[in-house]
Amino acid sequence: MDNSAANKIDQVVEDFRQGRLTEDGLRQALEAQQTSHQRQDLLYLQASSTSVVASVVGMSMICAGEVIEGPAAPEKWPYQTVLAAIRDGWRVIKFPELALLLIGEGTVGLGCEFILEKWS
Amino acid sequence: MPTYDCPPTLNDTQVLEFCKNGFLMLPGVVRAEINQRTLDYLEAHPTGEPTDILLEDWFLQNVIVEPRVAGAVRSLLGPNFGLPTLMSNHRVQCPQPAQQWHRDGRSQMGPSLNYLQVFYYPQECPLESGPTELLPGSHQIFNQAKYMAHFGQIRGTYKAAAPAGSVFLTVYSIWHRRSASTGTELRNLLKFNYWRTTPPARDWLEDPAFDPRLVDYRLDGPALREQFKDCDDNAQMYYWLCGRSSEFHLMGGQGWPIPGRFLGGSYGYPGEVTNRRD
Repeated sequence: MDNSAANKIDQVVEDFRQGRLTEDGLRQALEAQQTSHQRQDLLYLQASSTSVVASVVGMSMICAGEVIEGPAAPEKWPYQTVLAAIRDGWRVIKFPELALLLIGEGTVGLGCEFILEKWS
Repeated sequence: MPTYDCPPTLNDTQVLEFCKNGFLMLPGVVRAEINQRTLDYLEAHPTGEPTDILLEDWFLQNVIVEPRVAGAVRSLLGPNFGLPTLMSNHRVQCPQPAQQWHRDGRSQMGPSLNYLQVFYYPQECPLESGPTELLPGSHQIFNQAKYMAHFGQIRGTYKAAAPAGSVFLTVYSIWHRRSASTGTELRNLLKFNYWRTTPPARDWLEDPAFDPRLVDYRLDGPALREQFKDCDDNAQMYYWLCGRSSEFHLMGGQGWPIPGRFLGGSYGYPGEVTNRRD
C-alpha cells in the first residue's frame, strides 16, 4: 500500500474516533486503498471455438506488469480451456468477435480469442 | 535477371506436403567449408543486407543452386526460375526474447506460388539459438502483423532447429517469428527469394502411387480452420501448382477432397460431371 492510501486510512480512523467521519471520506479512503497496489493481469486465450470448454490453441498473459508467453509445451499451459481459467478466478472481459467469425468462408486469425482479467 | 534450371527433386507427395505445411526443411545440405566461408564473409560484411554475396561464385554454386536446394525450388517454381536478387541477414546477438509473430509485409492470400522465401543457416541453430518458429498451414490463414502482436505460445508450431548448412523453403505468407534464445552466440540467418518465370505445371517427379483423387489432403496438426477447410485449401494449392486451376471446383458437402472410407470413391472430383452444380 502506498503512503497516500495509508494516510487516508489513518485519517478515516481518526475521523471515526472523533465522530466526524463522513460517507464521502469513507468512500475516498476505500477507493485509494483499492487502487493503490492492485494491478490488472490479462490472459489471452485463443480457443478452437466460441465454447468455453473448447481446447485452447494459443495463449499469452500479462502478470504483475510483465508479458509472459507461458511454457512452450502446450500440455504445460496453465489452462487448457477458458472454463478452467474462469474457475481459477479469471473474468472474461472480451468474447470472440462473432461478427468477424461470420465473414463468408474466409479464415481469419488464430481461433476464437477470449481476453480475461484478474486483479492482483 | 538471372535464371536457373535443373532437374526437379520433389515428387507428388512432397509437393503436396509443402502445400499442407507451407515449408520444407533440407537439413545440412550445404558443405561445412562453404558454411565457414559464408560466416567469414558475414563477419566481414556485418550488414542486414549483404546482397553482394550473391555475386560470389562459390556462394552461388554451393548455396543458391546447390542441387538439393535448386531441385526443390525447381519442383515448386518450374523451369528457369529466377534467382535471388536481394539477400537479408537476420543477425542476432543471443540471448533474445521471442520475436513477435508475423507474416511478412506484402503477403498475399490464395493458392498461387509465384515465389519462395528461403532461409539458410550457415551455422548450427539449436533451440538455444532461437531458431525460426513456424506455424504449419498458416500460409492459408489470413491475419495482419499488427493484430498478431499479442500472440504468444501457439499449439502445433515447428521450431526450425537444424544443423549448419540447413536450408528451408517457405511460402512467403507463413506465420513465423524468431523464437526465444538462451545462448550467447551471434546467430546468422540468411533470407532470400526465388521467383517463378513460367506457368505452373505438374512437371516434378511423378509418384506412380500418388492418386490426387484418393490422397489425404488433411494437415496433420491442430485444427485452426473450419472443419475440412484445410483439405480444400491444400487441394486448391496442389491443383494450382499442377496448372489445373481452371478445372478446380469445390462442390462442398461430403464430396472430394475430404477424407473418408467412401464406397467406390467420392463425388465432386474435378473434371467429372458430378463436380459442377452451378
